[in-house]
Amino acid sequence: MANINIDAPGTSQLFMGNEAIARGALEAGIGFAAAYPGTPSSEILGSLASVAKETGIYAEWSVNEKVAMEAAAGASFAGIRALAAMKQNGINVVSDFLANLVMSGIGKGGLVLVSCDDPSAISSSNEQDTRPIAKWLDIPLVEPGDFQEAKDMTKWLFDLSEEIGTLFMLRSVTRIAHARGNVVLGELPKKERRAYFDQIHDLKSVMPTTFMPVPSPLRHFFLHMKMDKARQKFEASRFNRYVGPDKADLLIVTCGSCWLYSQDAVKTLKLEDKVGILKLGTLWPLPEKFVESHLGKSQKVLFVEEIDPFLERSIMEFVASLPSTSPRPTFYGKRSGHINAYGELNPDLVIKAISNILGLTYQPRDAEYSDKAEAAAKSHVPERSMTFCAGCPHRATFWAIKNALKLDGRNGFVTGDIGCYSIALGPAGFFQVRTMHCMGGGAGVANGLGKLGQFGFNQPVLAVVGDSTFYHATIPALINGIYNQSDFILVILDNSATAMTGFQPHPGTGMTAMGEPTKVVSMEALCRSLGARVKVCDPFDLKHTTTTLLDMMAEGGGAKVAIMRRQCELVRGKKEKPPYKVQVDTEKCIGEACGCDRLCTRVFLCPALIWDKKAGKSKIDEVICTGCGVCTDICPQGAIIKEAA
Amino acid sequence: MVAVAKGCKEIITDVIDAGLCALCGACTGNCPYLVYYKGRIALLDNCTLSDGLCYKYCPRTYVDMDAISQQVFGVPYSEEEIGIAREALMARTTDTRIREEAQYGGVVTTLLSLALAEGLIDKVVLTKTSDDKTASPVLAQSEKEVLQCAGSNYMACPVLSAYNQIPKNDVSKLGIVGVPCQVLAVTKMKKDPPINRATISNVKLVIGLFCTWALSPDKFHRFLREKLDLSKVKKFDIPPPPANRFDVYTTSGEISLPLDEIRKFTMPTCAYCLDMTSEFADISVGSVEGIEGWNTVIIRTTVGAELMKAAKAKKKLETDKLPSGNLTHLKEAALLKKKRALKEIIQRSGDENNLIYVGLSPEFVKKLQD
Amino acid sequence: MTTKQLAKDPLNLIITGVGGQGNVMISLIIGNALVREGYSVTVGETYGASQRGGPVMSHVRISKETQYSPFIPDGCADIILGMEPVETLRMLGRYGNPNVLTIINPRPIYSIDVTGGQAEYPDLDKLVQTVKKLSAKTWVINATEEAQKMGSPMFANAILIGAVIGSGVLPLDKKSVEPVLCETFPKEIKTNIEAFNQGMRLIKQLR
Repeated sequence: MANINIDAPGTSQLFMGNEAIARGALEAGIGFAAAYPGTPSSEILGSLASVAKETGIYAEWSVNEKVAMEAAAGASFAGIRALAAMKQNGINVVSDFLANLVMSGIGKGGLVLVSCDDPSAISSSNEQDTRPIAKWLDIPLVEPGDFQEAKDMTKWLFDLSEEIGTLFMLRSVTRIAHARGNVVLGELPKKERRAYFDQIHDLKSVMPTTFMPVPSPLRHFFLHMKMDKARQKFEASRFNRYVGPDKADLLIVTCGSCWLYSQDAVKTLKLEDKVGILKLGTLWPLPEKFVESHLGKSQKVLFVEEIDPFLERSIMEFVASLPSTSPRPTFYGKRSGHINAYGELNPDLVIKAISNILGLTYQPRDAEYSDKAEAAAKSHVPERSMTFCAGCPHRATFWAIKNALKLDGRNGFVTGDIGCYSIALGPAGFFQVRTMHCMGGGAGVANGLGKLGQFGFNQPVLAVVGDSTFYHATIPALINGIYNQSDFILVILDNSATAMTGFQPHPGTGMTAMGEPTKVVSMEALCRSLGARVKVCDPFDLKHTTTTLLDMMAEGGGAKVAIMRRQCELVRGKKEKPPYKVQVDTEKCIGEACGCDRLCTRVFLCPALIWDKKAGKSKIDEVICTGCGVCTDICPQGAIIKEAA
Repeated sequence: MVAVAKGCKEIITDVIDAGLCALCGACTGNCPYLVYYKGRIALLDNCTLSDGLCYKYCPRTYVDMDAISQQVFGVPYSEEEIGIAREALMARTTDTRIREEAQYGGVVTTLLSLALAEGLIDKVVLTKTSDDKTASPVLAQSEKEVLQCAGSNYMACPVLSAYNQIPKNDVSKLGIVGVPCQVLAVTKMKKDPPINRATISNVKLVIGLFCTWALSPDKFHRFLREKLDLSKVKKFDIPPPPANRFDVYTTSGEISLPLDEIRKFTMPTCAYCLDMTSEFADISVGSVEGIEGWNTVIIRTTVGAELMKAAKAKKKLETDKLPSGNLTHLKEAALLKKKRALKEIIQRSGDENNLIYVGLSPEFVKKLQD
Repeated sequence: MTTKQLAKDPLNLIITGVGGQGNVMISLIIGNALVREGYSVTVGETYGASQRGGPVMSHVRISKETQYSPFIPDGCADIILGMEPVETLRMLGRYGNPNVLTIINPRPIYSIDVTGGQAEYPDLDKLVQTVKKLSAKTWVINATEEAQKMGSPMFANAILIGAVIGSGVLPLDKKSVEPVLCETFPKEIKTNIEAFNQGMRLIKQLR
């Protein structure tokens, strides 16, 4: 990650969108930042935490987004500028708090909520557009169109938030958050920050300061007044602008990452003098006057945005309210089917829409070349499915789970959750995971299944959850299981990291976001104190792990916990050398013959195990092998050998 | 009906799910896919091979009885009720230690000890009963280990998995003790030798046990656990008719359970088995009705004959003529089992010409039905 | 500092490979060096879940005029730096055109679809030939092999950066890149600089 604390105003740096947001917060004089890791938002807190000590700010990985948001609000109540960052699912988790926070108002410290959506769910369970929450709960919303705006908007929002007295939301997407671009730096502030919870709001009042949503209807009315003030600020904002001719064949209305795609599309089609682009940066409340002033530029309007028709609907709604004499262009977008209402966009999709509407044909490259290249790629390029890394403890855990369930013979199954181990729904995890929804969802679903004995249900249920997910959302589900006596086994995959999002620390790791050692919240002590039976296994000891699971399944009787403890290979591999040198004894390997049928390369699927078709034997890929040695225990012929390195 | 090449998928559908599995162990121990656990064969992963040794050696997939008989005896399948028998006699051990542990006459233990001592075999595949009275396959290498396996268990045990697990380059000479379905599987292996395990020609001695039926290891064991303190049990016995009892000898006395109650736990596949006396073994051994402490011994092959001769010469065994009444009775019982099995098979298949897994000529079948 | 005019504006560079190969680090080094030379640079990556063995591509948009989007439009790649053979062909299929310049490291990384038996990995020589047919010019750099000679496959990244700089297709030279290399590589800086130099040498030999 880049150093966001460079004191070099006026210079251009290559920053990730997330780094730009973090830099904007620094330039605004933030004091407090909290978040839970979530792709594509994690680097916001990550980069703030890496400079926290030298800048005198506080940055934490909270146990979940709800606590992060609440903690940031707490800082705001005490007059400290605060930021909370999360991915789209985090918005769902904080929605209850937000619904009350917009009514209660914030304190003297500006409060900014950053939501990073993941269109196409590249690294998510679901895809979801979080902008509608701004309309739903009345939160002013902005969306940066590039990396410079990511920084500048974030800085601006803190001033606005304090002036108007409510939290502001900035929405980003993967292609801004994780892409990198030029950011010209501003000044870093040097003022002191002091935290104090004002006992009295103002000297005329007899009531002490409170932050509560009551009485709600009155607060709601005040909230609308705040939104009107925000609208006025938005009308004058430089983040809204028009680029293009005075009279255009087509007017594109866009925001966010689609601003860059639209420009790319127009340039590629060489239509700069025919197609205008109205870019909005402040989305809600809608800067109506600004929009109205540009609507007449064309008879045709194309909305380009991700993922939902948020701007499209807001503007169509607004236009419907205008007198009949106002210009009524033809609207194209998601409603008309010219732009997908699902998945992420890119310049080619915008090119396609423009060409469609204007009746153009576009050929990016020579047709003959295109056919040749596409045919070659189709026939020569095999799939590359996701897998667990070589040496990943999850591969061993799911191998033991698969075997235990088969040996048990009652058609048991696994309910899953969010993390690297979600990959176990596929071949890499032997298709073990059967349900997956949100953080903590697996144990919740297992609770229900574990109570169906009275309806003849006797299939063992294993709920797998990662260590970070355990602290995040699973503890209430475990308590429920113990209290309501639900029969399931909670399998905690403790690889000592929040791995999928970038190895952030969590309450079990003994380290804070700012790199300070801290108390370890022991998961086995916690589970035992709740009254669960707890067993701890090393997943690399396949035999012991399988036997432990079999015994637990045979036991029955209420929630039990099996902790699979072994460090994530990507974390271990950075600090230590490979423990073993692993090789295949080609004399002993029987490959495809009866008695093996390529178990290691066909079923176990570690990417370091390769099938040498010519020799008819398995082989270790030395570049990928991490020397964990687990495969030596699965080979039926004992043909895989490990030597201590 | 002919032999068809099939794999583990068909083992599951045609044999296990069809209720024909005898838990003999011929399909387990040599591959990572079929694994025995607590009374059942589990399939851990999908094997893609369409020509599996599991299917080939299963005693409930097609077996050409004439070909099998040719393999062992050089003649087609015998119409004799107790199969090809050079001699049928009575015998018992002269060794007092063995006599203490033995079920009846201790003949199997004695013959194995002698075979080990003489170097006819180096290791033997056997069933061992643990303290909790579950049965598991073992590979015994000494007289002491063989003695630990003395006594009948009555529950099915996948003994052949212990043979399957022996690595391919192992040159030890092997003995196998099994019930008729296991002996049949071994004979199938002799006819069509397996790869990637110890060579079948290393098997120098096959001792077969008499068997009417076997009990389901998980269901029957659960039943026993609920009824008895298994730690106190020394021995089980099913005395011959008309006793109709299942006897349990404990440290605090003898308990008898009605045999009808025990019959509920018979493996379903036993109803389709034609072989009571392990017709393809070198030597077959069972009890002697009405005479405690002796075994009925049927000598079938040269290997069997020479071992018995040596046992007598070295005074390890005491032998006597088998009373004619016993032999007649034995033959009647064996024939009854064949007839019953045939009836059950035809009832199940619904077609006189479909014998499910047994390859017999229609003439033979007709003769049996008379 | 006067920013040089580009042969084409924007200049579109794709770096492609498999999750974990170091793709992102290369794009960061090249991107940073270009920003310091005064260019507008946008680097788009696909990572996150794809780290776990899936394909990774970085799109680098280089311009003197404006900030471009993080996606290169179909058929518009100018340079492809392929760290893995099949991924290189995958990129040519979508983003290639008759003028594209390709650098390829011919070291296969087998996906579990291949090792698991569901898919075939193509014949490597045929693959390289196909890549050559689909590119205006192709440089084959055995980066992994060379890196292993230097002690670890890790050094392949620096070798490939050296190769792309040495090819002259980017408006960068050793002077503009070396300081960024020193700042970026977490360890073994000296060996990485040597690897970079080796990459420059290797590609010059292919001229």
